Parts: sequence; C-alpha cells; structure tokens
Amino acid sequence: MSDAPTGEKRKVAFLGGAAIDGAPIAYIVVLAAVTTALAFIPFSFALAGGGSFPLSQGIWALLGILLGPIAGAISVGIGTLIAIFVAPHTAGVPVVTLLQSILCAFAAGCMSAQAKRGGWWIIAAVLGGVGGLYYIGRAISVNGVSLGAAVLGSLIQIIGWLLYVLPTRNLFGKWVGSKNVVLLALGVILCTATSFAVAHFFATAITYTMFNWPQEVFLLLASIIPVEYMFRFIVAGVIGVGVIVGLRAIGLVKPERGLY
Amino acid sequence: MGMMKYRTVEKDSFFTRLDFRPKLLMIVIVSVVAFLWESPLLGAALGVFLIVACLLAGLKVSYIRMLLLIMLPFYVLLLVAHGIFDEELVLNYLGQERLHYMFRFPGGGELFGAAGMSWEGFWYGVNIIFKTLSLTLVIPLGIFTTDVDRMIVGMVKSRIPYKITFIFSSTLRFFPLLFEEIGAIIQAQRLRGLAVEDMNAIQKVKVYAKVAIPLILSAMVKSQQLEVVLQSKAFSGSPDRTYLHSSDLTRTDYLLGGIFLFLFALVLALYFLYGVGKYSVPFIAWEA
Amino acid sequence: MADVIAVLDKVSYKYPRSPGLVLRNISLEIYKGEFLGIIGPTGAGKSTLCLTLNGIVPQFYGGDFYGSVHVSGLDTVENPISKLACCVGSVFEDPETQLIATSVENEIAFPLENLKVPVDEIRRRIPRVLEMVRLSGYEKKSPAELSGGQKQRLAIAAGLAVQPSLLVLDEPTSQLDPVGAQEVFAVVRELNRQFGMTIVMCSHAAEEMAEHADRLALLAGGRLLALGTPDEIYPQVQLLEENQVRPPQVCSVFYSLRQKRLPVQNIPVRLEEGKQTLRSVLQGGRLLPPPAFPAPPAPHGTPLFSVKNLRHVYPDGTQALHGISLDIRKGEYVLIIGQNGAGKSTLVKHFLSILRPTEGSVMIDGVDTQQLKVSQLARRIGYVAQNPDNQIFNETVEKEVSFALTALGHSPQVVAERTLASLQAMGLEEVKDRHPLSLPKGERARVVIAAILAMQPEIIIFDEPTTGQDYRGARYILDISRQLHQMGKTVIVITHHLYLMPEYAQRVIVMGKGTILLDAPIRAAYHDTQTLESTFLTPPQAVLLAKELERLDGRAYPLLTPAELAGCFERQNGHLG
Repeated sequence: MSDAPTGEKRKVAFLGGAAIDGAPIAYIVVLAAVTTALAFIPFSFALAGGGSFPLSQGIWALLGILLGPIAGAISVGIGTLIAIFVAPHTAGVPVVTLLQSILCAFAAGCMSAQAKRGGWWIIAAVLGGVGGLYYIGRAISVNGVSLGAAVLGSLIQIIGWLLYVLPTRNLFGKWVGSKNVVLLALGVILCTATSFAVAHFFATAITYTMFNWPQEVFLLLASIIPVEYMFRFIVAGVIGVGVIVGLRAIGLVKPERGLY
Repeated sequence: MGMMKYRTVEKDSFFTRLDFRPKLLMIVIVSVVAFLWESPLLGAALGVFLIVACLLAGLKVSYIRMLLLIMLPFYVLLLVAHGIFDEELVLNYLGQERLHYMFRFPGGGELFGAAGMSWEGFWYGVNIIFKTLSLTLVIPLGIFTTDVDRMIVGMVKSRIPYKITFIFSSTLRFFPLLFEEIGAIIQAQRLRGLAVEDMNAIQKVKVYAKVAIPLILSAMVKSQQLEVVLQSKAFSGSPDRTYLHSSDLTRTDYLLGGIFLFLFALVLALYFLYGVGKYSVPFIAWEA
Repeated sequence: MADVIAVLDKVSYKYPRSPGLVLRNISLEIYKGEFLGIIGPTGAGKSTLCLTLNGIVPQFYGGDFYGSVHVSGLDTVENPISKLACCVGSVFEDPETQLIATSVENEIAFPLENLKVPVDEIRRRIPRVLEMVRLSGYEKKSPAELSGGQKQRLAIAAGLAVQPSLLVLDEPTSQLDPVGAQEVFAVVRELNRQFGMTIVMCSHAAEEMAEHADRLALLAGGRLLALGTPDEIYPQVQLLEENQVRPPQVCSVFYSLRQKRLPVQNIPVRLEEGKQTLRSVLQGGRLLPPPAFPAPPAPHGTPLFSVKNLRHVYPDGTQALHGISLDIRKGEYVLIIGQNGAGKSTLVKHFLSILRPTEGSVMIDGVDTQQLKVSQLARRIGYVAQNPDNQIFNETVEKEVSFALTALGHSPQVVAERTLASLQAMGLEEVKDRHPLSLPKGERARVVIAAILAMQPEIIIFDEPTTGQDYRGARYILDISRQLHQMGKTVIVITHHLYLMPEYAQRVIVMGKGTILLDAPIRAAYHDTQTLESTFLTPPQAVLLAKELERLDGRAYPLLTPAELAGCFERQNGHLG
C-alpha cells in the first residue's frame, strides 16, 4: 500500500476560530472560569497578623502574560465578575476588586516591547501613578499621616510602580519568554509584582477614599503588605512557571500577544 | 467545598420581573451614592433599605446573616481603628478643635498616642461600615433576582459585544466544573502522602499553589476541544444571529429607570449644593 | 444502491504540526440511512476522519489536505464550516466540554441561533429533538443536573436540532458507565431505525457495534484497512488483533473453535447467533467435561482492611453506604464493580480516610483509620485516580516521581534510588526529562503510577483505570497491576469493564445502592448473572455463552474467557478430516 497521497492537493483557507485580539475565545473562556473557580479558594498564610487572599489573585497577572493585555483583561475581568455575582460577600469591595483585577492583567500583558502595543503600558502606568499620588496625597493632607508613614506603608507599590515605568518592564517581559527556568521564574514573579503594584495603587486610591485609614493602620499595613506580597509572588511564581513550562511542552497554540 | 453555582431566588417578585438593564442602572447608581455619602445616618438608611429590599426580593435571611457574619470582624476593625485613632481626619471634616470622647482609656493612659474612643471617629467608622455593606448588598439584590438568560439578553441589548456576552455565559457554565476539579486535585495531592500540616509556611504555599497548575493546563487542553465544539455548532463570534430569549423593556422598567435617574440627580444636587450626605455627627450621647 | 450522503475520495491529511499523514488515501461512501461504525486503535485517525465531514479538518486546523469530501453535495473545503454545520450534527467524547450553554434549551438553541434560524422555528424544534432523545421536560434544567448519559443525549439532541443529513458521534460512550452507554446506544439506534437518521460512530464498544452498525470501517495508521458489514469485519480476528482492536468475545470464541477445526460455518458476531452456533458445534464437536478450577487459596492471616457496619451519609443527606462489612487480606487482588452511585468510591475513600464513617469503623492492620492522618495512610496505600492529568504537578517526569519523596524529607540518596527504581519499573527512564504532559495519555497514567510506587505502598487502589483508554492502553495498566500483585502487594481495582478482568482479579465485590450485593471469587461472581444484571452490569459474552453451554449440556461450566470456552471443545475423531 503506497502512502503517498494520490488525491489532488487542495488549497486550504485556514480560518481558525473566533478570537479577541489574537487570543482564541475558548482560551479566554476557560481561563475566566479558572479565575472564578480559584476566587473561592482562600489562600491563608498563618503568620503574625495573619491574612488571606483568594488564590485567583496569584493568576491575574499570569492571564495577561498568557493572553496579552486585552484578552487577558477580559478573561480576568469576566472571571472576577462572575465570582462576585456568585458570592458577593467574598470579594471585599466588589467594584474595586473587579477593576484591580482587570488593570493587573492589562498591565502585565503590556510588559513587552512588541512594537504594535508599544505604548499601551503608559495607560496602566498613568492609572497606577495617579492613583498612588492621590492616595498618598490624601493620606498626608486629609488624614494627617506623616510622609514617612505614608511612604513606608506603600513602599512596595512605589518600588513596583517605578520598576514598571522604567525599561525594566520590557526586561521582565523578555525573561518570561526565556527558556531558562530561573529567568522565567524571575520574569513571572517580577511581572506579577510590578503589575500588581500598579493595579494596587489604582485600587487603593478608591478604597482609601472610602476607608481613610489613620496613621496607625498605615504602620500596620507597612508590616503586613510586604508579607502578603511575598506570598503572592511565591504563588505567582510557582503557578506561572508550572503553567508556562507545561504549555510549551504540550505545544498548544500560543495566543498572538502572549509573552511566554 | 459545596457545589458552587450561580443562583437565583426562588420567589417571583417585582424584582425578578424587571429587565436586567434597570437593575444594572440601579447597581451603578447605588454604588456611586454609597461611595459618595459619608453621612452615617443616610448611609445607614441606605444600608437598611437595601437589606429590606433584598428580603422582599426573596433573598434568604440566612444569606444576609452569613454575609454580615463574614464582614463582622472587618466592621469591628473599622470601628476600632477610626474610633480610637481618627483625629485629624474628622476634625478636618467637621472643622472642630477637639474630639468628644465616648470613653477614655483607664488611668488616663494612651494607646499609640490615642486617649480613647471618640464619638467623631466612631460615627465615621459607622459611615464606612454601611458604605461597604451597601456596595456589597446591591449586587445580590440586582443579580440573584435575575435569571441567567435574561441577564445575557440584557447584556446583548445593552450593546455589550456578543463575544463578551458569550464568554460570560460560557464561563458561568464551566466554572463549577473547574471548581470540582480543584477538589479532585487537592485530594490527589494529599494522597501523595504530603503532610501539609507538618510543613513550614513557604513549603506549604509552594505545595498549595501547585494545585493551580494542573487546573490551568487541563483547562487549556480542554479549550482546544471546546473550539472544535464551537466550530461544529457554527459559532463565529458574530453578533448577527438570532436569540432564543428576549427581554423587552416594559413601562415599569422605563419608569423605574427614570425614577433611579431622577433620584440620582436629586442626591447629587443636594450633596453638592446643600451638603446633604456629607459627614456629620448625628449625636453625642455622653462625654467621658 | 441507496442514496449516497457523503463521499470521501482519496482523502489524505496532515495537521500543521503532526510529523506525518494522519489520514492516508481514504475513499469511502456513506449511504443515506445507514449506521456506519468506525473502529480502530487510538491514533488510527478516527476522530480526524469524523472532523473531515464537517470541514473542521482542514478549514479550522489548516494543514495539508488531499482529495475531497462531499457531504450532501457540498465540498467541505470550498463551503464554510457554518454551512456544513447544517448538514452534519456532531457529538464528541467528553460530555462536559461539549455542553456550553447554561440550560438544556439554550444548548439546543445555540447552533440554531448561530445559523440565524428564526426564534419561532427554534421553539418548535426544541421539544421535537428532546423527545427524540427522551429528554422531554428537561428544558430548563442546567447541564450540571444531568447524568453522563443524559448529557450525551442532550449533545445528540443539539446535533439533531440543525436537522442534519448525517449525525457523527466520536466515542460518545467511552466516558460513561454501563447504564449511560446503554442509554446512548438505545437512542442512536432508535434515531437510525425509526427516523432514518444516517449515523457515523467511532467506538471501542465491539459488542454494541456488532449489534447496531450496518457497516464497519477499520482504520489503522490513517489507512482504511477493511470495510464491510460487521459479519464481514469482526470474524477477521487476526487482522483485528494485529491492529490492536478487540473483536466481540463471541467472535473470538468461534474463531478459536474454527482454528481447532471444529464445525463453524460462519463466525457469529452477535450473542444470539453465537448461542445458535454453539448448538451446531455441540453436535459436530466433542465437549470435554468442565475443567477443574482449583478453588483459590482461602485468604488467611489477619485482615489488612477490616470494615465493620460502615455507614456513610453525605452532608446533603445522601445515604451512600448502608452498613457494609468486609475484610480484605494482604496479597489479595480485589475487583469492585457496580453502577455509578453504588458506593464504590465512597467505600474506597474510607480506606484512605478521605471520608469518615458516619457509623461503624474501618481498620487497617488493626488500627482505626480515624486515628491516622491522610498523609500517613497515603504512604501505605497508593491511590491511582481516574484522570492522570489531575495528578501531574511538576515539570519533568523525574520531578513528578520524586515530588512526594522530597516533600516528605527523605535523604537525597533515598529519593534518587527510589525514583530511579520506580521509573525503571514503569519503563519511563528514557522520558525522565520530558514534561509529563508532553507524553501520550497511556504514559501519563504510568507517570502517576510511578510517582505512587515511589512511596512504596503496600496496597494499591486503581479507580477506573481503563475509562477512556483503548484496549491496548487498558491492558497495559492492568498488566502493571498484575506485576504489583505478583510482587506481593494488595491490589484493589474499580472498573466497569468486566471483560478485561478475568486474567487479573481473584475476588469480586459487587456493590449496588450502598450495599454489597455479592462478594465471591471471580468465577462465582461472573456467573451470578442475575445479580450483575440487577445492577446493570452485563457479564462478558464468554460467560453468557458458558451459561448457554450449561443450559444445553446440564453440567456447570464456570468459564470466563473465550480461550477457556474454546478449550472445552475437541474435534470429533474422523469427523470432517
């Protein structure tokens, strides 16, 4: 039996499926569903002060990395929205959680020097920066928090925001695409850290207008936030590396704007 | 872990008969108003109104109770933080020189520079409590009373792109499956003999985070099958299609939408012109 | 000849990223109103062939396509998929991923909405197709509330709603339990016989295909090896076995008898014909007395597991187990069978202390499992869950196997030794640096087994290890279970695939509705056909033929396999030469 095709070779118009900004809709759907499901898995760390955040926070930035800024933001946004709809009591201030998750994925998705999306990061940086300035300004002027306490209470966000605005942004994005697992891990962690900081600044501007924490709470935050961030980074690093290495191994089609 | 799914109230009421669009408008307006108002009394009135509305709409008392119980520690924190430590903020807001104390720490001592709990701080805390409560409660009020089909039609009719609406409805379908899968994965992990209880915090975090890896990867693999399924069902993402369910705005919907907009305008006018809704101290029962 | 609905002409195809051709020069006509079965091992190209019928191959995947496929006169390369979707209804393997809507009626409406069918017409079609798959009254239910069989029937209904000229089903029953599979086959058969729907179905379920299909196409390595009626295809046992396809057991029995030159005119492919043929073989051949099967050694020693009056009620009030008592001794190979919901998994989860008894007790080696942590138990009991992909957490095969050992704090030397031994035992040494998910499904299952063996458990539980595997894959895993048993381990297997188990299991526990219906050595259990059928389990055809032999001859023939059955006959001297 001869194996050579005897039929006439046909010209195939490759259509592919429905997509948003280069990411197949099916990817967006399943990752949104992952976000919703993980929103119900509380991630508690038993340490002084204690605290917990849903595991979904660990993948907000990852979805931006995987799908790109627009598709990532849509996927995270819809996933978070449904989590809020299903269990409003688990979401903190629902609207803020929603906006923060969207901005985080968007910011992470912009962390690449890809020419076509070259300037989009500025949107995220401005939203975060204005939010941060407003928040620190309000703390000092309205609530009488000292400059030192205000800066200390948001040191991580400030550093994160700076690293996002500086060219380090593209460097971290490039590391995510690296074959070297250590660089990949660093890339995922730093992309998560910086984009989370940007989104956090933006969100804090809103929550702070509501909560107006006095200085003492600031000092408390200054001690808790770094710990919380550290756990978030570990979570993001473990998941991000595992998922990206896995995706490369399975050989699934990479969305056009994915960074990995 | 119980079964997670989107739920709707069983009771048929005024709320369930409304179109999703006026409800969406209500969610937005109530959220903005709750955010804006800093008056403890008005805030409390809005919060109580929403609780009553939720109950009338058929939400279970047990749900409201659970919600309050979950928020309780945060509310206590708010009262303590603002009651004890707020000084500059409330004085700034009220243009006062000094605070009125509800109680002072025994022996005239100070805690981190605070002398006791002030009425001004206490009421400010009360305002935030109702603010958060209203922002949360308005969601079940609008969402739990809306059938999924009508929500999706409402989204389509609100000119939300069909692709987004489609992602929304499919996510609703798939997330419970993934949630169950998380249970299976956690179990598989425990059955590898990992004694999570004996690990230090960082090890624990690493092991725990690994749960998400098979979840995401298998979801991505399944998405390939999903694409083939969608193709075989002639899905193109185009909004040019028919819709089985429809939801047309009735006179009540328009009327209600109008009322919401009118009230919203009124609230804004009163707030900016006359300061109604700004922070004030309702009363000081005693002074220590 | 009947009208032709679809024509494949010299079809060859290569996916953009597959190393070679997946379909090779396939020419095939599909006739109106027929039931065409497609059989072949995993990787034969069956699914790809199905996807050529609605244009998804090549239009969605791209790649190199040769030849042509016409469905209802439409060329599948030249017409858009959306147009072809009106001609071909598709049903896929996984009941979960193919249901995408939030309610039954929305699921059926979805393709119609996409095709811009007017709403009134959609409303007319929904009750009609639901009736055809016997789901009337389920319109408002969510897919999550349906059983596996109902889900697949809903998928069929959605496929029918477009009023296709052809319904294509790709392994629709492989993820289902026996009841679900029976439901689906019954519905498909009815569609075919009553409504004249043309059916194309891929399936490993040989007995059912023999019963229902009009024609079979045997595919292997992308080639169409044989095409004909089941009566023409299944008797070619050697060809099938060379291609890793399992024929119906009744074929194997009479094929062997014919090899022994017993008078078998035509090899029957269905059970009833098999019973007829058995009579003629009895007349023309010599029946040996029933072979003596030595009673399996009575289990001795103290029980490893001792379950006493175990009751379990789930938090939602479901009574899952009603006072179960049993002992399992060291070194046994136990098969647990029963319908979904019979309580098999609930029972096994008590062994691992994942579930706690509502009443009664479970002891392991005399210690109440409630006093032990899951992690302690898991080191003694290896549990291989059904879906290997839920159990893969690491980036390389080697890390996966050593994952738990490292976390348990073993010394690097012990970790290395045990990992290596485990990799060797599972034949995974060569792929130890690969990502587990880059391996085929059968090997992924082995990675998980290797990871569990590295813990050196005394007891190994396989929970439905053969679901979704083809014959070769299922046999491979069961062979591993036998090796482990021979090494002295206690093995417990849960499966629906009774025909696979005679060469492995010794003892069978039949469960139904939370009780133990039967606990007996495998021969006795498989021959208690009444009990099996009471819980919707169909005994293997070899067992049913042995029962028929008993009825005809009067002596008891406690046989389990086609080979045993064939071994009971001899040629009559001088007869037929």
